[in-house]
Amino acid sequence: MTVSKVNRGRTAAAVSLTTVLALAATACGDDGSGGSGSEGSGKGEITLWDNNTGERRDIWAQIIKDFESQNKDIKVKYVGLPIDQVQQKYDTAIDGGGLPDVGGVGTAYLSNLVVREVLEPVGDRVEAGPLKGKLVPSMVESVKAAGGRGDEMYSVPSSTNNGTLWYRTDLFSRAGLEPPTTWPAFYEAAEKLTEPGTDRFGYTIRGGAGSIAPALDAMYGQSGITSFWKGDKTTVNDPKNVAALEKYVALYKKVTPSADVNNDFIKMVAQYDNGSIGMLMHNLASYQDHVKSLGKEKFKGLPYPAQANGERVQVSNPVDGLGLFKNSENKAAAWKFIEFAASHKSNSAWNESAGSIPANTDAASDSWIQQAEPTAAAMKALSDGSTKIVDLPYYLPDWNTISKSGNEPNFQKVLLGDMSAQEFADKVAGELNAAQAEWNEQMKK
Amino acid sequence: MTAVLTEKGAPPVPADGSRKPPSVRRKRRERAFDEVPRWQIYLPLGLYLLFTLVPFYWMVLFSLRPAGSTSLVPWPMTFDHFEKVWNERSFSVFFQNSALIGVFTLICTTGVALAGGYALARFNFRIKQGFMLALLCSQFIPGALMLVPLFQIFKNLSLINSPLSVVIAETVFQLPLSIILISGFIKNVPYSLEEAAWVDGCSRLQAFRIVVLPMLRPGLIAVGSFAFVHSWNHFLFALMFLMDQDKQTIPVGLSTLIGADSVDFGALAAGGVISAVPVVIVFAFIQKWLITGFSAGAVKG
Repeated sequence: MTVSKVNRGRTAAAVSLTTVLALAATACGDDGSGGSGSEGSGKGEITLWDNNTGERRDIWAQIIKDFESQNKDIKVKYVGLPIDQVQQKYDTAIDGGGLPDVGGVGTAYLSNLVVREVLEPVGDRVEAGPLKGKLVPSMVESVKAAGGRGDEMYSVPSSTNNGTLWYRTDLFSRAGLEPPTTWPAFYEAAEKLTEPGTDRFGYTIRGGAGSIAPALDAMYGQSGITSFWKGDKTTVNDPKNVAALEKYVALYKKVTPSADVNNDFIKMVAQYDNGSIGMLMHNLASYQDHVKSLGKEKFKGLPYPAQANGERVQVSNPVDGLGLFKNSENKAAAWKFIEFAASHKSNSAWNESAGSIPANTDAASDSWIQQAEPTAAAMKALSDGSTKIVDLPYYLPDWNTISKSGNEPNFQKVLLGDMSAQEFADKVAGELNAAQAEWNEQMKK
Repeated sequence: MTAVLTEKGAPPVPADGSRKPPSVRRKRRERAFDEVPRWQIYLPLGLYLLFTLVPFYWMVLFSLRPAGSTSLVPWPMTFDHFEKVWNERSFSVFFQNSALIGVFTLICTTGVALAGGYALARFNFRIKQGFMLALLCSQFIPGALMLVPLFQIFKNLSLINSPLSVVIAETVFQLPLSIILISGFIKNVPYSLEEAAWVDGCSRLQAFRIVVLPMLRPGLIAVGSFAFVHSWNHFLFALMFLMDQDKQTIPVGLSTLIGADSVDFGALAAGGVISAVPVVIVFAFIQKWLITGFSAGAVKG
């Protein structure tokens, strides 16, 4: 080997080393900690963590732009988080530091953050500002209940969703079927729209991730039981609920594709939008996906079916909101942003974009809600007293585990016939009763 | 008639030395052993390709056909989804970040693995076996388990929100396998070659650089490409250690395209294509050395 080649090697090594060191020197890092928190000057930069980015990013960009134009001395740094990683991101930041000033917080994991003392109570701030009396009372109650600290609020509600039965109007009219407003009509339509041996199915069932909530909706919706607890014991394994579950899971393979056992919402919505499936139970948020794929003429959305006597029972939906974090060094500016985001104009625009139900009472009469038929129907069902809501125990720190990773594989076993509906309901009930007992014990202390 | 066996497994030769010509049937049987019919090769390969290419085709199809189309071919073709993710969803920035982190992970991993691999291959020290065992065991620790300690370390070093934190974390997790692989390659280079270089006046470092290093090219390519691809695809460290949107990487960008209740399949597929293409190109260029590298490491390591 020649000397020049040796030198070239040395140079390459030196360049590599220098570049690595330069990267280290210009890392522009920070220590990620937020300190103990203070009201601050009401100026400067605040950080917002969006707990469900994706298509919502654009509307957040617009809200932030509007806010910054009205508050020239405050800058908002937007960080979009993937929804399935948001809890892990919060957990890591709680243990390691680096929480934001403002963060999107859903009721499904609100209690976890409250228990770990990272969220600022916001009830007094709401009462003292322009949001007083402007938040939908049922959503306020939901966030209070989910926080698990009595009457205190730990997030400002921004939106909620509602279970929606999407159905293909073209397939229904071809089969001479009426809209599936009741459970008997739903089962009848599911059978009539299925053509054995073809890819035409009456329904697509959620068997994969997120399967427990729709299953609970089907159970309570058919049984008519309106309370999740009977004393300290859950009603999940009540005989009426078990019978309803048996009837619901019997749909699998009979009127649904066999691949549904792995259906998460992505696969479920995709096969509804791109196939010949009559009905889908999801929520309002998939409206835009259906419009993109099917056009507005081929489908409609209804609230979940009512019982034969016309009474409708649904399980409660998570309420999304904005939390003010205790470690913020600029709580005054952060709160100003939360008030702005929850105001009529911003909240309405955000929910119109997300396809969900706004938390600001003034937004309820906005024209876009009346034009979005499924949203209007959902709001009517929730406000006219025709729907009874079964409050799910979002306040239990174990709720997420029990209702997701802990029992979703078991629901698949029920679909596949490896576990009975009774065994499944008993297992879920046992875990819930234990979690509730533990919660009661903690509250006593 | 008596027969004697000439060699193990060979047919017996008649005692008179005459050998009958093999029957047509036996010829066919022998050919069946020697030459595998083509369909036996192409059918499994075809099935494998079907399972590999159909999802890839599906991704390309969704990325190129307009939203709402159910066509099985990407016609009429649109590049709207690519434009959306590249410009509106900042994939141009994510791409640069991923490339930067991938290249530096590659450099750091290969550099440290070379030093560690050489030590393991050429020196005997007391805890060598224990060290090898520790390297192997470290492969069983999931990255998620180390998130909080790593976060605190980087926080103390003021490296949170710096790409360097991701480079270090990726390098650390890539090193055990890389060191084991490289030490296998170095063992394959005869020690006498280095000794000859010393006799000719080289120092140990010079001998390594001039004699051993050029012979490690397949191994370096294997280890480097592994490090790059792993870093390119890895999601968790970038999500956790980087706070600013403009420092995130492609896997994080991809996951942000999936909302809680809705997903834009066209944009997601376009993002997937953008994410996959560089890896495919890298492998297309280096596959010759990569295969050489793996076979050398596997057989002689």
